[in-house]
Amino acid sequence: MIARTDSIEKRLQIAGTLVIIGLVVEALCLIWGQPISFVIFVAVGGLFLFAGVVLFLFSLVSIPHAHD
Amino acid sequence: MPYATILIVSLVLFSAALITVLVARPGIASTRGGKILAFMILFFLPVLCGAIGVSSEMERSTTTAFCLSCHTMEAYGKSLRIDDPGHLPAAHFQNHRVPPDKACYTCHEDYAMFGTMKVKLQGLHHVWVYYFGTPPAPGEIKLYQPFNNRECLHCHLGARSFEEGAMHTADPETLPAIKANTLSCMSCHDTVHDIAHLKDAKFWKEKQ
Repeated sequence: MIARTDSIEKRLQIAGTLVIIGLVVEALCLIWGQPISFVIFVAVGGLFLFAGVVLFLFSLVSIPHAHD
Repeated sequence: MPYATILIVSLVLFSAALITVLVARPGIASTRGGKILAFMILFFLPVLCGAIGVSSEMERSTTTAFCLSCHTMEAYGKSLRIDDPGHLPAAHFQNHRVPPDKACYTCHEDYAMFGTMKVKLQGLHHVWVYYFGTPPAPGEIKLYQPFNNRECLHCHLGARSFEEGAMHTADPETLPAIKANTLSCMSCHDTVHDIAHLKDAKFWKEKQ
């Protein structure tokens, strides 16, 4: 049970870190406001956001039930 | 920086701060309420921030300042200030026939279904070539396709000056041909972004 909780928390931390990186990239690109910033926003920021959110959703659906 | 951008950046940083708390104390998500909170913070807020950010960046990419921020486009920006009513883009820009802050986009938008998506993809190609390829000299830049009358008619269709203009009505076949895009507007209104003669041009100085 403890190992299961640790695993979920670990995944939450990784997903959260990925999303934070994506959000920071997004904020920097919005402030920068050059044509290349849109490309970086979508390609880099979007990738981190997507990876973080998908990992979070995956961690939700892949939690083994307590009786497993 | 526009207020809208400040608000969006604030929301993005606020979301990042909330996620940092969750990352630092992941035990919050162990309860039922904590899981709902985690879902709001790690799914709803990032998706919302991403959507608002994309919308904001798309809107900014329609501004004249955005287009002219590329060095290659400087000459085209200058051509908007040529002091000559016969110079088509300059006359439109200076007389606010197009919104001055969206001058490039208003004429070079594709007013067809999925046209916005098409011009955005072309814009991304421009950015790619500008940073990672060899951008052509300003004088060598060409449109992907001949200018479609549809872009002009988006505003001018139905306008009295267009429908009843002496040159447009002198020959009864002219107006139908323009509307069918078989006779280009540019065949008569042919002074467009004449950047080859910029050094000889007189420029309009806008009063502050």
